[in-house]
Amino acid sequence: MSLLLQVNQIYKEFLGVTAVNNLTFSVHGGETFGLLGPNGAGKTTAMRMIMNIIAPDQGTVLLNDEARAKIPNHRFGYLPEERGLYPGANVLEMLTYFGTLNNLSKRKAEVEAIRFLDRLGMVDFTDRKINQLSKGMQQKIQFVAAFLHDPDVLILDEPFSGLDPINQIVLREILEEYKKKNKILIISTHQMEQAEKLCDHICLINQGKVILEGNLNTLKRKNRENAYLLSSDEDLSFLKDFSELTILEEGNNTYKFALNDSKLSVSGILKKVEAQANIRKFEMMEPSLHDIFIQKVQEENGGQA
Amino acid sequence: MKNLFRIARWEFITRFRSRSFLFNTFVSPLLFTAVITLPIFFFNYTPEVSTKLVGVIDLSGKNLAKDLQKQLNRYYRLDNQSREYVVLKVSVDNSMPYNEALSEYKEAVAYKDSVTAVFNQIKRQRSEYYKNTKIPNRDYFLKTSYEKLQTSREEKELAEIELSHYKASLDSLYKREAQKMADSLLISDVLNAYLLFPDDFTRRGHLEYHSKNPGDLRETERFEKILQTIIIEKRMLEDRVARPKIKRWLSSISIQKYQLMPQGQTEWNFYAQFYGPLIGVFLLFMAIFTSGGYLFSSVLLEKSNRVIEILLSYASSRQLMGGKILGLGFLGLVQVLTWIFITALFAASDIIPVDKINYLSLANAFYFLLYFSLGFLFYGAIFITVGSISSNEYDAQQINQLLRTVAIFPVLLSLVVLAEPNAPFIQALSYIPFLTPSFMIMRIPLSSVPLTMDIYITVGIMIISIIAVILLAGRTFRVATLMQGKRASFSEVLQWIRVK
Repeated sequence: MSLLLQVNQIYKEFLGVTAVNNLTFSVHGGETFGLLGPNGAGKTTAMRMIMNIIAPDQGTVLLNDEARAKIPNHRFGYLPEERGLYPGANVLEMLTYFGTLNNLSKRKAEVEAIRFLDRLGMVDFTDRKINQLSKGMQQKIQFVAAFLHDPDVLILDEPFSGLDPINQIVLREILEEYKKKNKILIISTHQMEQAEKLCDHICLINQGKVILEGNLNTLKRKNRENAYLLSSDEDLSFLKDFSELTILEEGNNTYKFALNDSKLSVSGILKKVEAQANIRKFEMMEPSLHDIFIQKVQEENGGQA
Repeated sequence: MKNLFRIARWEFITRFRSRSFLFNTFVSPLLFTAVITLPIFFFNYTPEVSTKLVGVIDLSGKNLAKDLQKQLNRYYRLDNQSREYVVLKVSVDNSMPYNEALSEYKEAVAYKDSVTAVFNQIKRQRSEYYKNTKIPNRDYFLKTSYEKLQTSREEKELAEIELSHYKASLDSLYKREAQKMADSLLISDVLNAYLLFPDDFTRRGHLEYHSKNPGDLRETERFEKILQTIIIEKRMLEDRVARPKIKRWLSSISIQKYQLMPQGQTEWNFYAQFYGPLIGVFLLFMAIFTSGGYLFSSVLLEKSNRVIEILLSYASSRQLMGGKILGLGFLGLVQVLTWIFITALFAASDIIPVDKINYLSLANAFYFLLYFSLGFLFYGAIFITVGSISSNEYDAQQINQLLRTVAIFPVLLSLVVLAEPNAPFIQALSYIPFLTPSFMIMRIPLSSVPLTMDIYITVGIMIISIIAVILLAGRTFRVATLMQGKRASFSEVLQWIRVK
């Protein structure tokens, strides 16, 4: 049975300040969901409500139509943004403790912990104390703590911050593997390139409200500027004479242009160009998530970013 | 529910293995016991190790030194039965000024004696003349001898006045020189102290005690007691009371102290009775603040390093708090039981004379456990509240310090509790939850009547207070632990408590 996490109209305020304002979205199993937004948008609060660390003032969180409060915590895994571990604790003992808190047997927790530590190249450090490890290593230990018990819903807050590129790849592999089990993965991040690479579905929130939500490809298509990029080894300055397009950027025989009428086919233009010069590169300009993020947040904040 | 025990187990094991727990369980109580028992040890034994030399400057001429020595020998003996005090008359034989004055005085005495002899001779002669009427020229002789008598009487009276002057200056010189001598002996530690009896001692009963350490109450008390007897004896002798009567009237008393306890009378020993409960309070305090302190630092640490967020995603705040209280409370119990076990071990091997210290009973061990548990739960919940509200360790430690001061406060009143364990204000103070465990642990062994009613009342008060503080702790813990950075204002804390 596939998993479905539904967040319905959740609302939370702290001391009169609204942190999350009627947030609604749903995540399907096998899907990587990106919860994006600027600082203070309410991401952490939303995640804490999904984790049942705090209860929403209004609204519900449902997993397969079952209320979150009734679901045992061990079906969820969480990596908070602010990382912390017991400084004086032994690595394996602490991971085993976290595992047993999530309903694993002691033996099973130990085995899983060693398996993940091995995978992250840290099997030699099982008997070390946490405060003897480097910051990056501590970070990896925390990942292990989050998915040691193989949760159905895994929530990672800024998973890549502070990780070197090699470990970022290892982590991404682990996450891919997890996704293949048709489980729910929610990632919150500021790093748009990472979100773009990982997420299938994104939800952009600002000031506690959803401002953009949907499948990443669909969103990109929707936010396409209808722009194209053309470059050649020869002079392309004749493009300026074409009445059906507007030049957006130019430089070094490379032109970025937009069609004046979206109904127009680009192939006609290409034919006209080919008659005069050799085309080295032609591409349809996709907006990056980064651009969409900035554009939307700026729109939302009334032009001030 | 399972998670509660897992958390408890983790808290227990990580702390149990820590060095600070070992220190607080074994080293601190030992240090404390040593610190408070060493002075007793010194107080009781050191001064008696050697015989003490006490100087006497006696201006009364009643030979008080001899009586003093006799009485001191009677009452105070060293362990080896030799006398504890040796009385020494301060000698001025080597003093030049005194010897000079003395020879002058002697001359004056000799002169007075000779004048007196002349006077007596004339007197005698005259009585001869009176009796013998047949002496020729009797009237003439009587007349001339009368003139001689007058002159020699005048001379005699003058010599007597002169002598009394010499005597007075000699006495004051003696006093001065003897004191000079005695002071030097005191400085060179030959004498432990000296007593100066003025000439009117038997009448006025006033004397001086000179010592490097006149604050030594024990010594002065002893001398006071003995001299009182001596002076009474002297006065009685002056009033011509028969010696056997005096002896009978002044026969000494001795007191052996007993304390009335429900289970019968037992011999009373100040040190055991006083320091025992004091050590008890200290241990109770140690136990509450060791495990309570762990509770506090555990919350504070998890809050400051954000482990709390991970833990709260695994377990509910109630499980987390309950687990901590359970685990660390159990740790405290282990500590207390270790102490009870050690005490029992000492008792069994006769290091502690249990039969003489009646409060070392199973019932009191139970009360210790009871008040430890209540105190731990009460302070523990407060620690959780403080730990979860505090934004940094520094603030939190300040409050911690304050709580410690409050909890140890009963020790300051320990002398009062010892004198009157059931005084109304002590009773009232022991109804204040912050002070209940410490006061009760002192009062129970010291009280001569069973405190059953007070135990019920205080346990009741403690349970109600514990429920209140745990509810408070539960609410603040859930909300406040996730807050970070800024210090919470009082109104914010109130709001956290109201958050559902």
